[in-house]
Amino acid sequence: MDFWQEIFMALSRNKLRTFLTGFAISWGIFILIVLLAAGNGLVNAVSSDFSDQSTNVYMIYSGETSKPFKGHGVNRSIMFNDKDIRFLETEVKNVGKVSPRIYRDGFATFNDKSSSIFVSGVRPVFRDINNVKMLEGRFINELDEKNSEKVIVIDESVRDKLFDEGFSPLGQFVFVSGVAYRIVGVSKKMGDSNGNGYVPFSTLKTITRQSQYWMLHFSVIGLETKEDNEVFTEYLRTQLAHFHEFDPDDTSAVYIRSRQEEYLQTMKIFKTLQLFIWIIGFAMLISGIVGVSNIMRITVKERTNEIGIRKALGAKSRSILASIVTESLIITTIFGYIGMWLGMVVAEIGGGILEKIQEGKSVTLNIVPTIDIRIVLMATALLIVCGVLAGFFPARNAVKIKPIEAMNYR
Amino acid sequence: MIRLEKINKTYFGAQPLHVLKGIDLHVEEGEMVSIMGASGSGKSTLLNILGILDNYDSGDYYLNGRLVKDLSENQAADMRNRTIGFIFQSFNLIPFKTAMENVALPLYYQNVSRKKRNQLAMEYLERFGLKEWADHYPNELSGGQKQRVSMARALVTQPKVILADEPTGALDSKTSAEVMQILRDVHQTGITMVIVTHERGIAIRTDKIIHLKDGVIEDIEINNPDAIDLNSEIK
Repeated sequence: MDFWQEIFMALSRNKLRTFLTGFAISWGIFILIVLLAAGNGLVNAVSSDFSDQSTNVYMIYSGETSKPFKGHGVNRSIMFNDKDIRFLETEVKNVGKVSPRIYRDGFATFNDKSSSIFVSGVRPVFRDINNVKMLEGRFINELDEKNSEKVIVIDESVRDKLFDEGFSPLGQFVFVSGVAYRIVGVSKKMGDSNGNGYVPFSTLKTITRQSQYWMLHFSVIGLETKEDNEVFTEYLRTQLAHFHEFDPDDTSAVYIRSRQEEYLQTMKIFKTLQLFIWIIGFAMLISGIVGVSNIMRITVKERTNEIGIRKALGAKSRSILASIVTESLIITTIFGYIGMWLGMVVAEIGGGILEKIQEGKSVTLNIVPTIDIRIVLMATALLIVCGVLAGFFPARNAVKIKPIEAMNYR
Repeated sequence: MIRLEKINKTYFGAQPLHVLKGIDLHVEEGEMVSIMGASGSGKSTLLNILGILDNYDSGDYYLNGRLVKDLSENQAADMRNRTIGFIFQSFNLIPFKTAMENVALPLYYQNVSRKKRNQLAMEYLERFGLKEWADHYPNELSGGQKQRVSMARALVTQPKVILADEPTGALDSKTSAEVMQILRDVHQTGITMVIVTHERGIAIRTDKIIHLKDGVIEDIEINNPDAIDLNSEIK
């Protein structure tokens, strides 16, 4: 009790010193957190920009044979069927979700306006596989697919041609090749391709009476390297060659394309960025530690006189050391947490402002500063520990000095 | 009370300096002695050894009948705290503590309760006429007041020995005379007192003057302080 009273008196009577030490610590932690948050915001921005290609996606589409095989001639076109889908979904372990794709080219009309449209019949998972972004409404869902609903998702370029600005197309009916579809959603353009529409796979299959599919989309999991992808592609081609009886070496029979290159590139950028952020954070942490340590060291030096007096009056080194360390622990903890909270508040507010600015813009650079609370707590704890240690060692040296020398210390 | 036998002390620097060369000294209980000498004579070193603030190389030092040798840091701290009261030239008060808190500080290291400490500290401040100044900080006090605070601090633990290092060094002659009068009064209560000074005016107010020169005791002068006019100029 008495010990704590002594400590708090020493802290409150030396307000300026306490404040300056505390401020150095608060500032160190504050800057560290704000910069880490800004760094993370940068990563978020880049990752959202790249998220269109953030998973590895495969497309298989049909081609024509160029080599005779088992009595089959050349120029035979290879299409896919339900058996291929089942095979991919159940027997190939790296395959995630599969969506076949059939299509129909035509014109969409609404009242007196029309637009060319490329309608794809796809399953709901197509959205996840190809990262279709919705601007309004929703994408095709399982119910649409199950009931072969005549619903359509149009992209923004089709919307802009058919509808006046400010008029919501949701719930309106458009005619495509003589069939009326109800609009359930508007999607963002996919890269440069204009005039896309999506309808349930089952609907378009019924309308066009197709059982042979032109394209299969699927996502893959766990293929991390170029080699993995090459082996996987080779395996697929061999299997498809077996099912459809073409020469496995005939590369024009089916085309297997993946976003592997882009995907690996993205991953590489990601990892580099992450490393960069960590290096910055680490450098910040080090400079924080140096700053905090310095101020603690100076504080203790300043107190050498007092230490000498206390020793002459019969204080034991241990008790002096204990009070100095406790004082620095209290200062670093209290001010450390103040700095931490201020840093997090500023990061949050900054994030909010940035989000507001970007609201309603069609092209958003999604810089949202975020910060992992565990990293914040760890960094704060580390700074506190270092601050205390930085106070401890000079204090230990100071109490070792003979009282007379300490008293005469200038 | 204090007995030194063949005390030697050498500072080992770039040039080894033999500061105390076999000091033999005996100070009786209740005696008031002064140590005089030019700077470099070893008088400060001697006082540091007496105050267990520094150690010595060879010889024996008995304080209050106990051999002070090879003490652990904690033992030395305890002995300083309970047996010795210090008065310094530069007062050495802690700037962020009030007069009362400064006086009470040695008791804190004796684990005396806060209430008791403050009560005792007030008693001693009152004795030195500083009751009204108890809540003032050192920088609000005059030199004489500061020295009286530090005397109160030295006495609050009821030590056996008071060691004073140039207690009037930072004071004008009038205040010096006052401080010396207080020290004499304290001495009357039976406390042993050793004063290091280079001022003859101070030294003649003690029972014995020990003249130190080049690390040896040159001469011990017996005084009769009661014979001198206490109001005479010190400097």
